[in-house]
Amino acid sequence: MKRSLFIKILGTYLAIVALSFLILNLFVHDEIKKIMIGQIENQMMTTAQLIDLKTPGDMARKVDQLARISGARVTLVDARGKVFADSEKDIAGLESHLNRPEIQEARVRGKGRAVRFSSSLGAEMLYVAIPIKINEKLKGYIRLAHSLRDVQLTVENTYRSIFLALIIVAALSVLMAVIFSYRLTAPIKAMEGFTEKLRRGETPEGSIFIQTSDETKMLADNINYIVDELRQRIKQANEENSKLVAAFASMTEGVLILDADHKIEAVNPALNNMLAFRSEEITGKTLLEAFRNAELQQAFLKFKEIGMPVAREVALGDSEPVIVDVSISPVKGDPGQEKTMVVLHDVTRLKKLERIRIDFVANVTHEIRTPLTAILGYLETIRDGAINKPEEAARFIDIILKHAQRLNRLVEDLLIISKIEMGEVNFHFEDVSAAEIVGSVLPVINQKAQTKNIAIINLVTEKLPLIKADKDRLTQIFLNILDNAVKFTPEKGQITIGLELKNEYAVVLISDTGIGIPKEEIERLGERFYRVDKTRSRDLGGTGLGLSIVKHLMMAHGGKMEIASRLGQGTTVFLFFPLKIS
Amino acid sequence: MEKKIHTSLHYEQELSEIKDGIIYLGVLTEKAIQGAMKSLLTRNSDLAAQIIQDDKEIDRLDEELEEKCIRILALRQPAAIDLRFIATAIKVTGHLERIGDMAVNIAEKAIMLNKEPQLKPYIDLPRMADIVAEMIKDSLNALINSDLEMAEKVQQQEQVVDEINEQIFRELLTFMMEDTKTIHRAILLMQISKNIERVADHIKGVADMVIYLVTGRSVRHQALPCTSKGEL
Repeated sequence: MKRSLFIKILGTYLAIVALSFLILNLFVHDEIKKIMIGQIENQMMTTAQLIDLKTPGDMARKVDQLARISGARVTLVDARGKVFADSEKDIAGLESHLNRPEIQEARVRGKGRAVRFSSSLGAEMLYVAIPIKINEKLKGYIRLAHSLRDVQLTVENTYRSIFLALIIVAALSVLMAVIFSYRLTAPIKAMEGFTEKLRRGETPEGSIFIQTSDETKMLADNINYIVDELRQRIKQANEENSKLVAAFASMTEGVLILDADHKIEAVNPALNNMLAFRSEEITGKTLLEAFRNAELQQAFLKFKEIGMPVAREVALGDSEPVIVDVSISPVKGDPGQEKTMVVLHDVTRLKKLERIRIDFVANVTHEIRTPLTAILGYLETIRDGAINKPEEAARFIDIILKHAQRLNRLVEDLLIISKIEMGEVNFHFEDVSAAEIVGSVLPVINQKAQTKNIAIINLVTEKLPLIKADKDRLTQIFLNILDNAVKFTPEKGQITIGLELKNEYAVVLISDTGIGIPKEEIERLGERFYRVDKTRSRDLGGTGLGLSIVKHLMMAHGGKMEIASRLGQGTTVFLFFPLKIS
Repeated sequence: MEKKIHTSLHYEQELSEIKDGIIYLGVLTEKAIQGAMKSLLTRNSDLAAQIIQDDKEIDRLDEELEEKCIRILALRQPAAIDLRFIATAIKVTGHLERIGDMAVNIAEKAIMLNKEPQLKPYIDLPRMADIVAEMIKDSLNALINSDLEMAEKVQQQEQVVDEINEQIFRELLTFMMEDTKTIHRAILLMQISKNIERVADHIKGVADMVIYLVTGRSVRHQALPCTSKGEL
């Protein structure tokens, strides 16, 4: 950049110098020579005319003297052209001079001149001739010859001076070109470096400072302005981008971006977590390749067909499907570059809750209707005649009472649960000895257990630390669990109650040698009215709410309930009580 | 010049449409087989009827894909890998469509079986169906990723399914010999088992075509080296 500009400026200067020299040469060169020759010529002409004042004889005699005075070679030629006197050469060897141009000119015009290279003298010569006339009669010619060597020398000297000046000017112009180009290129260089950084994608700090106030300064100001603007824009874009990235990354919904070819371009972390895969596994694939899901593909095909947002519920995965609400919508872009956004909203939990709710409503009606039907049936029987048979009526009334009690229990249990859930139950937490509570519950349970010959082994000792709990509720928890254990343990079974410390919990274990619970059912045990064996447990007199109440009470105590079971071998219930209530 | 690029892009798009279509067909057939087995295991005749109904979509997609393949053959004169791909596509869609038909067969038999009490708890049938579902998945993966290893794994699995089929056959035979009342149900179950075994054969056909697609070598009528048939 700098070099080329320098060369351009220098070249311009040199061209101007050369051109001026050329013009000088054109005008001056011939002029000097002409003026000098003209002077010499005039002088010689005067000399010739002065010589002419003399007689030819005198001239011939004093030819050497004349030559010395005039400083020129003097040749006298007669009318026929014969040389009769010469100041420098022997006249005998000279041929006729009549056809010499200066003589010819003199003969015709009265005076003649010529410039010629004289081979005899080896220099350019100026010849001047005038006719010698006596009484208007031509007697001969006077010719003077003067060497032009001096003229040549003078011209050469002049040229030398000019050339010297030229060199000085050229040297000066190099110097000036250096200075000038430097002054011109320095700001340009600065701007170039500045913009080069921009081009490479860096944002240079600060701005360009230029001290001049010419156009370069304006240019620099403009660049500064543009860079400021650019910086602002980049900052804005970065902020926007980071907002988007943050939103994309922190969304709880899974998001997929498909490119124009319907290949997966980007996946957000929520989707990775939701479906448990790495984003590299699916980027670059189509939806079909990545998910292999018919419903999703159908939704996508529909979206492609109508070009409008499509929403659909899709179950992804095989063994434990994740149920998602998928919405597919277009993202505006340049024609042919339209992307597609697929948002997946995990509704597995919602779906589960929905199912629990539906089940609950169905169960509750069923649970209430069963005793009600019995009550109504027996009441009708009594009204239609049994009232007159006291023994039968008494038996029926007993049954009616039993079912009414059952209904009552059911409603009470439901009330307890809903109260606990709504936080309306006041718990009175105090330090309770688990052994004491178990001791108070055991007589009740033992009574039931003895009818089935079930042995109850109590391993809870007083040594263990106290539990923070509500005494009455704790009693209910143990009662419910132990009651279940007795119900589902066949005759001659065994129930063990233990307590151990595990991390920050006191864990009460109640294990039986009962019928056990299928693995896939354990998870649903805490649900209201959920029964593993629908018919049997109702026969045993349960409301289907026992474990649900325990679960809720344990939660209210800051603890939890866990169940481990093997079909046909027994079940162990773990009740976790926190040692410190936060 | 611009037109040429456009045409070639279009061609590319047509090929990828076929690829997508095959995967979609595979997904549908996989779903059909799983659904048919589920209808048998959970004794859900409604689901079985649904599977039979859904087969129409599989048949339609099969026809559509075949037409697309033939169009490409006629209009684009594909060469080398593209030609092999089209040939593979035509054969694979055929296999997948047949798998769909097998699902329908199973569903139909499930409906019949659901009208009678269950003969015995199903243990081997679901195992076989699981293997077959896995095979469909693997074969499609092999097709998508041109994965030879996966295709070879699918070929091996076919042997396992054959063995389970034989085992189920023997087991049901004992049921029939013990109690003639079970014959009808046992035969239905045998047919289902046979159907699943046929599905495995078709998937092996898909895997064979994947090997053909990748290597250009036909392996359809070669016996696998590590066969354990002799023990049966």
